[in-house]
Amino acid sequence: MDRILESIPGKYRWFDAVHVAGRSTPLSFRNNRLHSLSESENSGFGIRINRDGRTGFSYTNDSQRKAGAVERAYSMAPYGDPENFSLPSDTTLDFEPYDPAIDSFSVKDEIEAAEKFISDMRAAFPEISIDMGVSASSGVMRLMNSEGVDLSYRDSYYSVSASCVLVMDNGVRIDTWEGKSDLRPVDYSEFKEILIEKIKRAQLQEKIATGSYPVILPPQAFSRFAGIIASGLNGISVWKGVSPFAGRLGEKIFSDKFTLADDPLIEGSPYRIPFDAEGVNVSRKELIKDGVVQRFITDLKYAERLGTEPSGNASRGFSSLPSPSFTGVTVEPGSSSFKEMIAGIERGIVAEQFIGLGQSNTLTGDFSASLDLAFLVENGEIKGRVKDCMMSGNIIDLLKGDVHFSSERERKGSIVMPYTMFPAVSITA
Amino acid sequence: MNDRFSEAAEKGSKLLQSAGCEFAEIRFSSGVGTTISLSGVNVDSMTSGESLAGSVRVLKNGSWGFATFNDISSIERFFNSALTAASIASPDEKSRVAQSGSVSAVFRTEPVEDINIITLDEKFELIKSYNKILQSSPKIQTTKAIYRDVNSRYLYMNSEGSNLSYEKMHCGISLTSVAKDGSIIQPFHESVSGYGGYEIVRGREELAEKVVKIAVDMLSAEPLEGGTYDVILDPRLSGVFIHEAFGHLSEADFIHENPRMKEQMTLGREFGPVNFNVIDDGSIPGLAGYIPFDDEGIYPQKTYLIKDGILTGRLHSRETADKMGEGVTGNGRAIGVMRQPIVRMTNTYIDNGDRSRDELFDSLDDGLYAVDVIGGQTNLEMFTFTAGYGYKIKNGKPGKMFRDVILSGNVFNTLKSISMIADDREMFGGLGGCGKGGQSPLPVSYGGPHILVKNVLIGGRK
Repeated sequence: MDRILESIPGKYRWFDAVHVAGRSTPLSFRNNRLHSLSESENSGFGIRINRDGRTGFSYTNDSQRKAGAVERAYSMAPYGDPENFSLPSDTTLDFEPYDPAIDSFSVKDEIEAAEKFISDMRAAFPEISIDMGVSASSGVMRLMNSEGVDLSYRDSYYSVSASCVLVMDNGVRIDTWEGKSDLRPVDYSEFKEILIEKIKRAQLQEKIATGSYPVILPPQAFSRFAGIIASGLNGISVWKGVSPFAGRLGEKIFSDKFTLADDPLIEGSPYRIPFDAEGVNVSRKELIKDGVVQRFITDLKYAERLGTEPSGNASRGFSSLPSPSFTGVTVEPGSSSFKEMIAGIERGIVAEQFIGLGQSNTLTGDFSASLDLAFLVENGEIKGRVKDCMMSGNIIDLLKGDVHFSSERERKGSIVMPYTMFPAVSITA
Repeated sequence: MNDRFSEAAEKGSKLLQSAGCEFAEIRFSSGVGTTISLSGVNVDSMTSGESLAGSVRVLKNGSWGFATFNDISSIERFFNSALTAASIASPDEKSRVAQSGSVSAVFRTEPVEDINIITLDEKFELIKSYNKILQSSPKIQTTKAIYRDVNSRYLYMNSEGSNLSYEKMHCGISLTSVAKDGSIIQPFHESVSGYGGYEIVRGREELAEKVVKIAVDMLSAEPLEGGTYDVILDPRLSGVFIHEAFGHLSEADFIHENPRMKEQMTLGREFGPVNFNVIDDGSIPGLAGYIPFDDEGIYPQKTYLIKDGILTGRLHSRETADKMGEGVTGNGRAIGVMRQPIVRMTNTYIDNGDRSRDELFDSLDDGLYAVDVIGGQTNLEMFTFTAGYGYKIKNGKPGKMFRDVILSGNVFNTLKSISMIADDREMFGGLGGCGKGGQSPLPVSYGGPHILVKNVLIGGRK
């Protein structure tokens, strides 16, 4: 801290700096066998300085050249936009997103577990090719500012993913995966059953004609669509006027079953944070409640521009300026279970994976994507795979109309989502 | 910093001489870059930063160990951790690499206008002037204009005695206008980049004018009705098509340990019409996918993937080349020193055919002209990509403009449905790049001539 102060060449209004350091141990399995084992150790430093209301920024990951970064940030400041917010001084550290159990990560045990997983999958499908990634990392994030904040927290992260490819005799390719992340090493043997069931079903081919059908999106698939909505709730796109929700606070845009929250405190999520990257304290906030748009997410800069309280959503790496982003997104559950949803469908689709989703003009909620992995539902039962067709529509319109959320939810990474059913979605075959 | 770089390099080369394993390589890089990002009337960010990176990759007893770090002065410690990592597992099936001779060379980008002598003020004024053009219609809601340059130094050394260095200058701009009319919002984007100096970004006013015009025109374009169409792809789209739909399929790491894929991708198999040629070539200077050597110390080459409609080659890393008993092609690439090289494309294109652009249009009584590209994705069997926009064609003449033109299909069937190939190839590459295995963006370029493809599925409502 003193070294930073010494390096600032002249007068300033405020500054803040982050220093991050971390180590990780990723294991990679390719085509059913251990391919490589890595060790990684990295650190970096970034600083922004406000001079006369304008802010400059610079970074380095060369620990001997921090003073140079401070000087560069200072000299860049006159190019910045006027910014008149002030930095927080009341930052509190109530917990660390860290579980000491991360130290129990054993490379040998993980290799053994992964090899067992692969051999079990091969017992079910001798021709299968599996890639896996298992990784443990831990680090320290330190935030310092000119208002007296100097806080550090440790973080830990464990992740595992398994991706399976099975090419059938007729050339049809089945490519599916499961993954999860946590604060500490966790068991993932449940992937086996889930993947085996998906692959078995995918081997049976079903046909569906062009038309409008009920579609169920499992949590992972629905999160891609919820992401389109979430990006419209970002203060940046609201301020730029490209969000479909700009100027519509308090308006009921969606079905009253739809409640979406930003939650930086999701239990077990390795993405949870005690305070945001500018030192603003965080809490769970409902952004859409019963279909009504309640608020947007901001950092200090966009809170000032939009004239609201900062929401505590600043995120930054050492090499970038803070910018508003989500640390956790949750959608409230509904009343019927996934099973009950399926039982109520005469002819429809469960869509797990897409190709090309998010490549359309997502600003307006429009989408059109190929069904990569999707299953036919017939008379209340999940059948085989439907492919070579596209699903199109507008996610805002779909969430405005008749929509059903399941009673059960799943956490995948930083999101917690239910199964979601839309009674009529356009399918082109 | 240069001293410490050389010191680390010297230590590294000693470590490699006595590595005691099948193969080892050390990579170092240092870079200084400037990014200016403007949006509407605002300066989103203006950043100048530097980074330092090192990695060691070793193959010991058939197992790979990899270490990454930014404290390059501790190279000995990280070299040992890579060796230790490789020693933990003793796989039954061992990885091996194709050997290659020892090569030493120094490469340098030769810019027309060195970015280091251009002042920050000048760069700021240039991107500001483009940003002003991007806002030049009252229908423009917001813009994004990004200028980026990087000066970097890259050093590659391996246990075969190779020592390659590359002083790289890279520069580019990315321009976006977002047009709005009521509830319709239409963004349009263009980007140029390359290895060279300030000449790459100077004088791009026309590009900025095109971006505004198309964004505004697209406001009045209607979404295209879903269905099956005969489609003429413009050179950019035919380039993305070949990169996404076929290029990834030619990456040997998707093939080498999968018997079914191997069977599908048997060399000699017919893949397209007789005048259909597809090439990957990393040795073309100036293009975004140019590499003087790949990240495994192999020189790039011109590889025919399809020649006269027949599958003739594929892209290899050292490991896949050994595994499949084929020669290395110089396609082992990583997005940075901190990542392991995997099989990647460089500059990939459909070669010229013998028809003129006009002949393609004249042959089409009822179809679609799909222009430009927003994005694309493939799962190696099916692909989906989104054209920027398109026009219905009636009796050879382009008519009404449409948006949301999303093409999709089976890779193999679609390649066989190419019915005419024009002779007007162009190459493209911007500030973005290609993603694979969590490594994105990797600079690549792609291109082709206009091509006519029959019976393409277009997604859409109705």
